[in-house]
Amino acid sequence: MANVSATSIRLGSPFTPMSYTKAGRTSPILSLGTTKAAFPSLRLSRFRVYCAAKPETVKKVMEIVKKQLALSDDVALTPESKLSVLGADSLDTVEIVMGLEEEFGISVEEDNSQNITTVQEAADLIEKLVQKKSEAAN
Amino acid sequence: MNQFIRRGMLPMQGGVLSHRLFASLPPLTPSPLPSRREAHLWYVVPDELKDASQLKKYMELLSSCERERVLSMNGERLQKGALLSRALVRTTLARYCRVNPQSIKFKTSKFGKPEIMWQHGDQCNQPSLQFNVSHSSSLIACGITVDVPIGIDVEEKQRKTMSSISSLARRYFSPSEVEYLGSFSNTDARQKEFIKLWTLKEAYVKALGRGFSGAPFKDFTIRLEATKAMQLAAVPRVHIEADSDPEYLTDNWEFALFELSSSHYAAVCMERDISHSGRENEPLRLKVWKTIPFVEDEFVSGTNAVKYICGLS
Repeated sequence: MANVSATSIRLGSPFTPMSYTKAGRTSPILSLGTTKAAFPSLRLSRFRVYCAAKPETVKKVMEIVKKQLALSDDVALTPESKLSVLGADSLDTVEIVMGLEEEFGISVEEDNSQNITTVQEAADLIEKLVQKKSEAAN
Repeated sequence: MNQFIRRGMLPMQGGVLSHRLFASLPPLTPSPLPSRREAHLWYVVPDELKDASQLKKYMELLSSCERERVLSMNGERLQKGALLSRALVRTTLARYCRVNPQSIKFKTSKFGKPEIMWQHGDQCNQPSLQFNVSHSSSLIACGITVDVPIGIDVEEKQRKTMSSISSLARRYFSPSEVEYLGSFSNTDARQKEFIKLWTLKEAYVKALGRGFSGAPFKDFTIRLEATKAMQLAAVPRVHIEADSDPEYLTDNWEFALFELSSSHYAAVCMERDISHSGRENEPLRLKVWKTIPFVEDEFVSGTNAVKYICGLS
């Protein structure tokens, strides 16, 4: 099934949730009607953003997972693949997290790493941390 | 294994059919409960179990939820491991409770630690059995205590890590432990010490039952030290690093570390019994059985299968 979340980004203005036109019509989802500002990444933190990680990130995560768990080429690895189902134990998981940290230049807190159960979750967390890191640098 | 365990062929839970199938299994040898200061360990070696019909019988002991999980594992080897893990837990607990292994219900604590969910009228909730499971790809173990929380971990002695030991230690272990590992110039020895420390730390975290994030590896150190009674053997002791939150990390735990089946390091961690003063420094007592449930049980304490490293009496 196509990953719907990659194509829909829900934004609400800080003043009215989701819809900000007068006549009761809801703005189309990607409308930035009330503000001329472009899509500043800092402002995203005030909105509820729901989007999946870039395909390149997902692919890199899958490479690291495949290498750590020594998966053969015929193993069906998808973004939804659960690490435990692939045979990852706790030492595999910490090695995967460390590998992701090195690959993406991020630092994963312990409570975050416990929430990584699938490839997709790992990729989403990475992007969140990469974004936070670039925001902190600005 | 899949050819024998297609979903349509599985018996329904409960009912006459499952009763008849269960009755065809020989009874499990009942075991006396561990004493308050004792841990029991039962382990199975998956590679020694090749009988598909035996595996099918184990499948019948599982809840439908457990079966789903087993079948969702990627590949036969992982499915077999998951199946034996559940079968080992159920049959081990059944030995002490004298109940049908199929009838045991489980829940998870709010931190995700698996626990027995006692039914009304269960003979087994006084005293309360505690258990913990660990498995590597080639060995599955289940530890049992009475009343006190237990955590166990098993790891292949020869387990090779993708990353270097020093980078893993720097990232996850406490500074004292990094220093300790660094003192081994021989990489093979350092790798072995890393695995030993890993199993001890894992066993502690699992005994605490708060999950990996509840007891970050960096926040505590495990050291071997001679006991106050100056016994010949050193005991592993957990020391909480000064700058961590002491509320969740307690040091009231005792450890045992040993070689299991010549192939694994195994660590057992249980809460220290402080009810009898003067006995705090007595090492943990451990009894170990190797099992193929319903087929063969072998008491292996005192044999080459259990080689004590530290912390055991």
